[in-house]
Amino acid sequence: MLIYKIADIVFGAKIKYPFTASVCEKYLYSGDEKPEFVAEITQKEIDYEKSVSGDLTFPEPYVESLALFRALCNHALSHRNGIVFHCSAIMVDGGAYLFTAPSGTGKSTHARLWCEMLKDRAVMINDDKPIIRYIDGEFYVYGTPWNGKHRLDNNVRAPIKAICKIYQSKENVIEKASVKEMLFTVFNQTIRPTDEADMDKLLDIIDKMLKQTPLYKLGCNVSREAAETSYKAMVEGVIDEN
Amino acid sequence: MKIKSGLILREVAGNYVVVAVGERAKDFNCMINLNDSGAFLWKKLEQGAEEGELVQALLSEYEVSEEIARKDVQAFIKKMVEAGLVK
Repeated sequence: MLIYKIADIVFGAKIKYPFTASVCEKYLYSGDEKPEFVAEITQKEIDYEKSVSGDLTFPEPYVESLALFRALCNHALSHRNGIVFHCSAIMVDGGAYLFTAPSGTGKSTHARLWCEMLKDRAVMINDDKPIIRYIDGEFYVYGTPWNGKHRLDNNVRAPIKAICKIYQSKENVIEKASVKEMLFTVFNQTIRPTDEADMDKLLDIIDKMLKQTPLYKLGCNVSREAAETSYKAMVEGVIDEN
Repeated sequence: MKIKSGLILREVAGNYVVVAVGERAKDFNCMINLNDSGAFLWKKLEQGAEEGELVQALLSEYEVSEEIARKDVQAFIKKMVEAGLVK
């Protein structure tokens, strides 16, 4: 059995494909903490994952890695105030900035623009599926191995400073977003449980996160100016009036 | 008319929303927004109220004429049916 520590959750994994082990390699754990649970991925879990992904052509090793992620997510939500939020999470000077949008809008591209602009000050936490945890009244985002097509993640955590919804626009413009307009975006970008008690936990975490986190919406193109616009608002708190 | 099983009304960050759990989550995977009176009527529906009772409930809760209450209830029901939330 392999032992991992992801999102400050130590757990055992019984898996059969080297692919899954290679994906998670950075998160192997050899410390003294006991595993909180063991994720045993059998054919049953793999078949379930195939049925919910809707794509039966995915290679089985890849599906196994998704099933392992699901097992971790279920545990995180049920026991550790943890949710998966589909976004690009970037760390700047120790604080995390989250960009969310429907797939294909350009959140990864925008996060890359930040990295190019900020160089060593910026660290990609996760470019696709980080885990967010609510700990002692604060929200933290954690890197996970499930990191999107550009395979960008780091095994770090950072407190969330701002969340920004992205849409494509010729001009770069940013404004504060209301809780209401972020609610549906955020909910749609989470991994959602089917169990009612877990759904209530998810909704409770989203409720608290939206109430206490600065929220923005950014219309942007692909340019350095786009990154400067969002950086000024989200990090420095400056929004230009047009 | 009944609300389909597995649909639950919750308040999240000051908004009334309906989400799906259990088997229902397979074919209903989004969040639906209800305004205050929509949530009020939803709760009455959960208790088994029929159209006439919904109108009466609106009349006793809000200061509206019967004609407007009836129109509101009919609009609400139409939306519920269109969204596939009731059977």
